[in-house]
Amino acid sequence: MSEKITFKELVELIAKQSNQSQNSTNSFIHELVGIIEDGLKKNGSVSLSGFGKFELRWMKERAGRNPQTGEEITIPGQNKVVFKPFKALREDVNKPFANLESKIIGDDPDASKPAPKAVPLAAAASVASTTGDISIDDLLIEKENPRFPSAPVKKKPPLTTPSEEKLAREVQKKGIFNWSYAAAVVVVLAAFIILFFMMQRLGEQTDIAPTADEPTEQVLTPIEPVIEPDEQVADDEEAEPGEELEQTSFETASHTLQSGETLWSIAESQLGNPYLWPVIYYLNLDLLDNPNQIPSGADIEIPSISDPDNLNEFEREQIALGYFSLYEWNRANNPDEARYFLWAVGVFSPDLLDQPPSQVDPDDLIFARNR
Amino acid sequence: MNYKELIERLASQTGHSQKKTRQLLGEITSVLSDQLSEGKSVSIPDLGTYDTKINDEKKVYNPHYDAFILVPPKRVVEFTPSSVIKEKMKFLETSDE
Repeated sequence: MSEKITFKELVELIAKQSNQSQNSTNSFIHELVGIIEDGLKKNGSVSLSGFGKFELRWMKERAGRNPQTGEEITIPGQNKVVFKPFKALREDVNKPFANLESKIIGDDPDASKPAPKAVPLAAAASVASTTGDISIDDLLIEKENPRFPSAPVKKKPPLTTPSEEKLAREVQKKGIFNWSYAAAVVVVLAAFIILFFMMQRLGEQTDIAPTADEPTEQVLTPIEPVIEPDEQVADDEEAEPGEELEQTSFETASHTLQSGETLWSIAESQLGNPYLWPVIYYLNLDLLDNPNQIPSGADIEIPSISDPDNLNEFEREQIALGYFSLYEWNRANNPDEARYFLWAVGVFSPDLLDQPPSQVDPDDLIFARNR
Repeated sequence: MNYKELIERLASQTGHSQKKTRQLLGEITSVLSDQLSEGKSVSIPDLGTYDTKINDEKKVYNPHYDAFILVPPKRVVEFTPSSVIKEKMKFLETSDE
């Protein structure tokens, strides 16, 4: 909770500012409180110009429970005293965050990438290939391939949504033959479509092109060619092409925290994207404990991020680690909000979500993976 | 009760002029809001406690845009009425409004 100032200190401050004795200030405030009470009794509301408004709000009768005995009781209707701060007070109090604005982030903050259709497909396919001991591909090859010729594959309509794929897998487990065949088609088609997008996007990567034909020409495909391209797509999504240089540390610049600055505002002005602020937090963990209250006057290190729209793998990992530290901090201090930070970890580095540096709450993990 | 009535009553009870009362009340609210802006919590006997709280950044769904919106952190005033005033007002029949 916030630091308190006692009523005595308050009276001293007011007395000093208004050149009154403390005694008269004290009695003035008591008169004021009495009048506020009276006003509430008579009119149900009292406003103090430039400050706020006191109001009585009628709370309807409602059913409740005695917390000690668990017995059901009816809580009678009653008045509640509420205070509504006026705009001037609201703005004064919110000054440290005044420069922040809401931002539309869409379903996924990284959704602005090229080849939007390839992303869900790649995700679906790589999930399918990494979950469980028996992947869908293993099952398909054991059961289907010897029996079925490859020709009809191309004639099947493209069933490519992940839910259908999931359904297909479930049915297959029960041993229903046709559905599992459809699943084979789904996987092969998914791989084919991904490769098609890749060829469009990365025309120069000709080494992948040959593998594109294999899965379509015959169903009897080894697992690898199907999975490999998928993973490659996924990798390319994370590390933007062309950023192949291995980076292991940031170049940093020193920055002295000014009063009124926030990590958010620093990230916005120095890094070009306010949502990267956790990377600053992570780099200065020893100095900053509470991310919401940063010590003014302290010198912190600001990492240099060359292009906030094209983060390389190292930068993504560091940002994800930053969000993870925030997740840990919020779990200790603000458990209700913590899961959103874990969700953000997955945005920047899905790998980190799979191998978290420390224990995470399973429910939070489910939330974080649900995107 | 509006601000004018409040000043009138306060002036007559404290013996200050209305102008002076207005000025004093202005000092009180400005000191209160200064303290709150610094993140301190302030209690006023028999009335209640003012405190501030930081609402963290949160992600909310906005159906209008059909998208998630990241709402920045915000610091807000919280007022907790004292038990004295709470009890007094609880079962009061409000005359108007």
